[in-house]
Amino acid sequence: MNSLVRWWLLTGLGLVLTAESAWAYIGPGAGFAVGGSFLVMFAAVFSAVAMALSWPIRWLWRLAFRKRPPQRPRFQRVVILGLDGLDYGLTVRWLQEGKLPHLAKLQQQGCFRPLGSTLPPISPVAWSTFQTGTNPGKHNIFDFLVPDERTYQPKLSSVEVRPPRRAIRLGPLRVPLGPPEVRLLRKSQPFWAVLSHYGIFNCVLRVPISFPAEKLHGVQLSAMCVPDIRGSQGTFSLFTTRPHHGETTTGGEVQIVKRHGNVVRGELVGPDHPLRSDRGPLKVPFTVFLHDNNRAELHIDGATYELRVGHYTSWVPVCFRTFPRVRVHGVCRFLLLATQPDFELYATPVHIDPEKPALPIGYPAVYPVYLASKQGSYATLGLAEDTWGLNEQVLTDDHFRQQCLDTDREREEMFFDALEKVSHGLCVCVFDGSDRLQHMFWRYHDAQHPARPADVPPDHAAAIEDLYRRMDALVGRTMARCDGSDTLLMVLSDHGFTTFRRGVDLNRWLEENGYLVVDDARRNEDYLAGVDWSRTRAFALGLTGIFINLQNRFAQGIVAEGGEADQLRAELAEKLATLTDPSNGQRVFRRIYQAQKAYRGGYVRQAPDLILGYESGYRVSWDAAVGRTTTAVFHNNTKAWSGDHCVDPSVVPGILFCNQPIREENPRLLDIAPTILNVFGVPAPDYMDGRVLEVGTPAVVSPTS
Amino acid sequence: MNTLTTVVVAFNTLANALGQLLTPIAWLPDWLSLTLIAGLTGLGMLLAFKYTSNQRAIAQIRRDIRANLLTIRLFRENLRVALTAQARLIVAALRLLGHALIPMAVLTVPMIFLLAQLALWYQLAPLPVGAETVITITLAGPTETPLPVVILLDNDAIEDVSGPVRITSQRQVCWCIRAKQPGYHTLQFDLEGQRYEKQIAIGEGVMRVSPQRPSRHWSEVLLYPWETPFPRESLVQAITIEHPQRSSWIAGTDSWIVYWFLISLVAAFCLRGFLRVHI
Repeated sequence: MNSLVRWWLLTGLGLVLTAESAWAYIGPGAGFAVGGSFLVMFAAVFSAVAMALSWPIRWLWRLAFRKRPPQRPRFQRVVILGLDGLDYGLTVRWLQEGKLPHLAKLQQQGCFRPLGSTLPPISPVAWSTFQTGTNPGKHNIFDFLVPDERTYQPKLSSVEVRPPRRAIRLGPLRVPLGPPEVRLLRKSQPFWAVLSHYGIFNCVLRVPISFPAEKLHGVQLSAMCVPDIRGSQGTFSLFTTRPHHGETTTGGEVQIVKRHGNVVRGELVGPDHPLRSDRGPLKVPFTVFLHDNNRAELHIDGATYELRVGHYTSWVPVCFRTFPRVRVHGVCRFLLLATQPDFELYATPVHIDPEKPALPIGYPAVYPVYLASKQGSYATLGLAEDTWGLNEQVLTDDHFRQQCLDTDREREEMFFDALEKVSHGLCVCVFDGSDRLQHMFWRYHDAQHPARPADVPPDHAAAIEDLYRRMDALVGRTMARCDGSDTLLMVLSDHGFTTFRRGVDLNRWLEENGYLVVDDARRNEDYLAGVDWSRTRAFALGLTGIFINLQNRFAQGIVAEGGEADQLRAELAEKLATLTDPSNGQRVFRRIYQAQKAYRGGYVRQAPDLILGYESGYRVSWDAAVGRTTTAVFHNNTKAWSGDHCVDPSVVPGILFCNQPIREENPRLLDIAPTILNVFGVPAPDYMDGRVLEVGTPAVVSPTS
Repeated sequence: MNTLTTVVVAFNTLANALGQLLTPIAWLPDWLSLTLIAGLTGLGMLLAFKYTSNQRAIAQIRRDIRANLLTIRLFRENLRVALTAQARLIVAALRLLGHALIPMAVLTVPMIFLLAQLALWYQLAPLPVGAETVITITLAGPTETPLPVVILLDNDAIEDVSGPVRITSQRQVCWCIRAKQPGYHTLQFDLEGQRYEKQIAIGEGVMRVSPQRPSRHWSEVLLYPWETPFPRESLVQAITIEHPQRSSWIAGTDSWIVYWFLISLVAAFCLRGFLRVHI
């Protein structure tokens, strides 16, 4: 084969080089292949020359017209590495045991402090406070979910995706005029918007509650609340020949498939038909050819992928087609779980394809495309790791951990690329796999956890410790990349972690105490469907809140604002504060907060009336979280999701490491935004609630701070 | 060189046989036939490129190129980053060029033979009835030896207007003739009792025109593929008939190849997504 190729090559080149008149005939053969590369070369040289020539002009322009910070920036670059959910207590413990050498080095260089989280200490609230420097009363994020004031149905607190407002009907078709409307419900503005105003470059990677991506001077990739291609927060698929798998599954969908010899056919479900609602969702058919007990071949969308039992495929691009040129692009990964005795194939939720994003998951719109070109496809879903897959026992611990590791690897690649590209300005990146892994593996860490198996697999016994060590190594690599530059490095977490042993069905408690009335026959329906609103004075929704059914707030509200509501809030707070777990006599709540007292700002009215500060070990129960009302207040948590942080903020402080000293002993997440602005010499806006932390040696601390 | 000529002659035989498939060109408008052929060629080139190139590597380089172009756009404030991206772009372009060499080599040879066949149809026009032209016969031998007697035998298709004119220094004999009858005809020449033949195309529209019966040199054979070349030891080295250049808005002189090139490229670019080819 090689000699044949060489012969063709020599003959072709000989003809090209020696023919006299024949040169004209080379055109298409050679030009077709070579033209493209010459075009690229021409473009590169042209743009280089244009850039070199225009650079001084642009520099002068910026110098003359850009709004400059009133004070000199104290550092050229600020790097914030967010490690979601890293717990202060565990970090201290493993630091003392010498298991986190890089964090110890960072502590030695600068400082290590507990970082006060938010009320409640959950990611959407905490990261919103981090980015805006305001309390939830100003940024309007109080939980993952809020009730719709008309229907009481839960909806996402941070984003609203609506179909296009205008559409025309063509027979059975409904043709939308324009893209879907995506609205960020987080209010106030992130501190990088303030920095952008002063011409400071920002690179913001996967900071939760940043979808849709907002305009800024720099680049941004959205995170938490980015939906999957179906519009959900992540719906996995299980294709199985096992009939009893047809039960309902939370967070996923089971599709029973048939096996014909060694061939299995199925359909990957995508978004609803954009033009015909009566057609149901779009689907991409696929075929699996089974080779033996361990290997198979997946044919989907014109491409072939090898499947091996227990191994994920790479990201598989899938295209949901309706009409020519009307396409929705997604990516997902497949995992062959078994071929015998039953076929089982798992597919992750179909993420928005970063190369052809259907929704604004980055700013500018080409930034996700850039990252995909640079490093290949990557997870774009807000909650990228499929916790439901493990919770529903479709995935094993190993499968889940692999997802976490892969997502972290992707994130690290984009983070380090950002560090390479951004030499001046702000670079923030949040790794949230640490949060997911602690949620799912805490049962191996907590010897008293109800979900802890009798025999803990040795691989998982130290899973949490391994995670902290891995994060420590990441910090080490980050420090190495910051070495030798004028960089302020902060490593922080939004909250800590604790065990989640017992679930509390708050709606059942409210029912038992006469505040909520539910139709007994509809008790098991989701989303508070069986609640009699005309007789219900309070209800629980989301992870930490209780709402009063106020007349001037909810469509079927019965409690008058004012004295009646105030009295009800106080009464509930008082009763809940004394609630104890009958199984061990332990208090359930450390503190009950009234939103009107705990928050300030224009959006306090949107908050739950009471925010519950649980003691360690307690959280809202699984049923209550999805709006079912059971017949018992307390439930053992036997799910894999065994660690949590939906408790009182004092139970789960986060961490703050910095390569510069920080004088304050008790910094809060709230203080980070004004502090970073101050480091760049930019005054913190008046609306910010945080205080400026004194960063650096006293000699370099700005007098204004 | 002799071997190369033999190879080219062998390929020409095959190309001429396949060239019969191009006969419908004579019945169609030139723009239409050229568009169809260019489209099909684009498709063929695309498939050849797909199976002779390292598609995975090319896709990766394309991604690199896109990433570097976007780097320049996204991080233009950082001069070091932007210039580095430009340098990487050039390296990527060179790598792309490297990956194009094998497909280029594979494509070049069939393209040359295809274009030589197409040139027979699109490069020159047949002689219109009544038009005059010059036929030149080039003879072998040293210039100092006297030219032998060459006779253009009578033929109903043409009228001998003047000649022969003998150019001893170039060992050429020329006639001026006038075309009389439309169609493909064979002219015969007598030289020392030997007969030599040359085809002539007379008429209107699109006809296959072979302006020269070439000598046995590989480049000549490559350019004038239709008629059998004269043997190396033949007294006659070449017979040439001057034909007018074709002129039309698409298939005019020299522009047909540009049109063909553009259409084949456009076809290839349009089909690349459908056929999943990275170019």
